Amino acid sequence: MHDDNSGGRTDSIRPRHRIGDRGDHFLKRVEGETGANISACYQCERCTNACPVSAFMDVKPHQVIRYIQIGWRERLLSCSTVWVCLSCEMCTTYCPNDVGVAETIQHLRKMAANSAIQPRELQLATFHRTFIEELQRFGRVNEFWLMGALNLKPGILKDKIRTGALKEEIELGLTLWRRGKLKLLPHRCKAVGEIRTVVQNRNGKVR
Amino acid sequence: MRLAFYPGCSLEGMASDYAESIEAVFRRLQIDLVEIEDWSCCGATAAHSLSEAMAVALPARNIAAAEKLGLDIVVPCANCFNRMRFSQVMIEKGIYDVPWPVTGKIKIHDMTRLLAEDDMLEKIRARTVRPLSGLKLVSYYGCQMVRPPRITGYTDYENPQTLDRLAEAAGAEVLDWSYKTTCCGASIGIGRRDIQEALTRKLIVKARQAGAEAIVVSCPLCQSNLDLIQAKESGPATPIFYFTELLRLALNSGGRPQHWLRKHVADPLPLLREKGVIP
Ligand code: SF4
Ligand code: SF4
Repeated sequence: MHDDNSGGRTDSIRPRHRIGDRGDHFLKRVEGETGANISACYQCERCTNACPVSAFMDVKPHQVIRYIQIGWRERLLSCSTVWVCLSCEMCTTYCPNDVGVAETIQHLRKMAANSAIQPRELQLATFHRTFIEELQRFGRVNEFWLMGALNLKPGILKDKIRTGALKEEIELGLTLWRRGKLKLLPHRCKAVGEIRTVVQNRNGKVR
Repeated sequence: MRLAFYPGCSLEGMASDYAESIEAVFRRLQIDLVEIEDWSCCGATAAHSLSEAMAVALPARNIAAAEKLGLDIVVPCANCFNRMRFSQVMIEKGIYDVPWPVTGKIKIHDMTRLLAEDDMLEKIRARTVRPLSGLKLVSYYGCQMVRPPRITGYTDYENPQTLDRLAEAAGAEVLDWSYKTTCCGASIGIGRRDIQEALTRKLIVKARQAGAEAIVVSCPLCQSNLDLIQAKESGPATPIFYFTELLRLALNSGGRPQHWLRKHVADPLPLLREKGVIP
């Protein structure tokens, strides 16, 4: 049925290298930082065919890998793909060359988040940041407070009013409230200080 | 049997019904769950969207706490399970240092796999007093519990069986379908409702086409996506059960189902009445 809990082929997980360890060459740099086997891709497109949201992406998963090989950094950091990707791991699971496509796209998302390039999906980009802010504040994340904090971020509420998403969100909130699914008061962890340190050192040491 | 229990943030809010049913089922099976004291968030998708080091460190605090207790961890939420296993593997491989001592000496179980072991199923069958006969289900696993296999340890990741076995042990009939591990859209609805609805709706449609009257899940996010999308539908609902709710029904462990099933949007009561499971 399945392996024991120690997991499957973890030997394919490679060590990470610091930025710059492999020079400025974009392919080498991304391979170093992700431990992914990007050079091994032969464009079979299995990743794209397995992807549930490839239809919504401007750069398809196999193209992401190709663009890294040829060093097209700007295109990659400004594409919608890095935000639309669901981290569902279909691409990684079915790649014949064990490229680590999902992990690579996640890494590009980090690069995009830390770059000056305007994210193609503002709400999704802001959501991730807000989530971590809430986590830092309480040690746990309360859905009600998370959505509240997200709505207070610049541009979000305006966008939601324009698209009518706000009305839907309020209706949804009421539905959840009536069923007792909203926890209004957040729980604060005692260890919130330790957690804050981890979040603040997030770009810290890689061995 | 004693296990460390990591509930995860959802179980305090949106998935409070999952939490209740877990408590009831484990009490009935006489398995002691020791909640990890002062547990903290695993970081979920947001952490690994911003920094891998942070995604490894955040779950580690909870793993270290369980190691201190000397107990294996059981995790109900698929995403928490995935993040904790990821953290454990990365620390074992020596790729990141974390501020808490993690030796890797304990196991991290996803709850379905723990309960789908043969001896557990035996126990469940022996204690089933209200079999869910005639209830036709499909099982839905989503992504995080099974993929990537090198983290989750699943070898049957294309056609996993844990939920199937558990639902069958509860007396339900589990049908085959091809969408067991197709993504439901996760939290993309926050910014792109169009994508969310396309993915989630497809699962509901395919489940109905397969002849299912309900869907059994284990992931809080999958549950709420599949459940909430039915809020505006008319016509018979397709209830989305946590597997522990099915077990709780079958084991008749505490409370009136009419009361504890009220948190569902797609109302399961008409279906359960029709099947004679509840009066
Ligand atoms: S599946 Fe792997 S080898 Fe094939 S195109 Fe995608 S990344 Fe390249
Ligand atoms: S992880 Fe992202 S790119 Fe890969 S299959 Fe899933 S959604 Fe597509």
